[in-house]
Amino acid sequence: MNKDLEQNIKAIISSFPAVGDILNEYKIGCTSCAAGTCRLKDIVEIHNLPAEEEEKLMGRIALAISPDGGLKVPKSGRKPAAAPGTLKYSPPLRRLVEEHLLIKRLLALLPRLAADLGSEEGAGLALSGLDFIRNYADKYHHAKEEEILFKYFDPDLEVIKTMLKDHAAGRGHVKGAAEALAAKDAAAAAAHLLAYRDLLSEHIKKEDEILYPWMDRNLSLNQVGELFGKFAEADSKFDPAAIARQEAFAADLEEKLADEAAAQA
Amino acid sequence: MEKKHSSHGGKHEPCGCPGAQTMDLREETAADAGPAGKAPSMLRQWPVQLHLVSPMAPYFQKADLVVAADCTAFAYGNFHAEFLKGRAAVIACPKLDDGQESYVEKLQSLIEDAKVNTLTVLTMEVPCCGGLLAMVQQAARNAKRKVPIKSIVVGIGGTIKSEEWA
Repeated sequence: MNKDLEQNIKAIISSFPAVGDILNEYKIGCTSCAAGTCRLKDIVEIHNLPAEEEEKLMGRIALAISPDGGLKVPKSGRKPAAAPGTLKYSPPLRRLVEEHLLIKRLLALLPRLAADLGSEEGAGLALSGLDFIRNYADKYHHAKEEEILFKYFDPDLEVIKTMLKDHAAGRGHVKGAAEALAAKDAAAAAAHLLAYRDLLSEHIKKEDEILYPWMDRNLSLNQVGELFGKFAEADSKFDPAAIARQEAFAADLEEKLADEAAAQA
Repeated sequence: MEKKHSSHGGKHEPCGCPGAQTMDLREETAADAGPAGKAPSMLRQWPVQLHLVSPMAPYFQKADLVVAADCTAFAYGNFHAEFLKGRAAVIACPKLDDGQESYVEKLQSLIEDAKVNTLTVLTMEVPCCGGLLAMVQQAARNAKRKVPIKSIVVGIGGTIKSEEWA
């Protein structure tokens, strides 16, 4: 089984489709992943199932790959998973999760922004939304991940590469939406905004539920302290008033769109 | 190996008693692996009692600091290997020690002046021990600089009852 653990999941699912069904049962969504380049070993580790669940999952995968029972499942030496609902992040990662909350509030507004790009006011609001994404989501939040957090991990890890690809794809959608708005192409701008919403929603979910807990399990106490200090230093380079303005923008936009929705109802 | 003795100026300077003389044991701890079957001491400094330590001592600078209730080292069998190794330590009893106002000031100085990297607070499961975490949190609130605080509660039976970021 060690050889299979080293293979990328796309190749395994392609050869043994039943493996994809088994992973889906455990809510490990590799079948729908566009990349599929993570190794089976990393996928199992990163999802941190309780030991008995992992044993059962690996046993079923082993049988799906080798129905004669010829594959041996290696024992996991990891710490036990946190009980459901008890997920607690270290202070630096908690900070990133809190930033996600504000980003998710803006993402939730994108469909309504995308629906009204024909008017001057609607296009102006969308441009402000793109400004929020560029400054808060990207320069303030993603920069801490790329320039600090991810440096603590092997850059060749597929999960890190996937996160970086998501950031790059997100920037592409922001650029595309801005260009479409400048060209007064409302349909193209809407498509980019909605694609960005889908991409980043899934990206944040992966980070909150899988990546950050895995990182917390692998960071030493000393590294947690270092990260906390480096995040504070990175944040200190931003004008607090500018960050407060971004936070206020998201709240004001929520209120404005809620009022408009109520008026139309 | 010769121990490094030093004295430090400033408001936290302890008295001249040998029990309070600052000693840096970091090199000695690193070199002494100890024979098989015997657990070597992982203590990297002297003194450890919170009234006696100087926050200006070099071994506190940017250290991962353990703030342990006195009883935890006796209750938890693997205290040295798990909690002292590679860290600086101070001990106190939140129930019996006098002059606890100075503890808050000293902890604040450890956060601000020694710029400790993290604080790990070890307390016993008994309710009166929770005062130590409260003291550390008060010092952290007073400090301009922020630092991650982890709280670990040790059971009377010698097990870890809980471990979480405070």
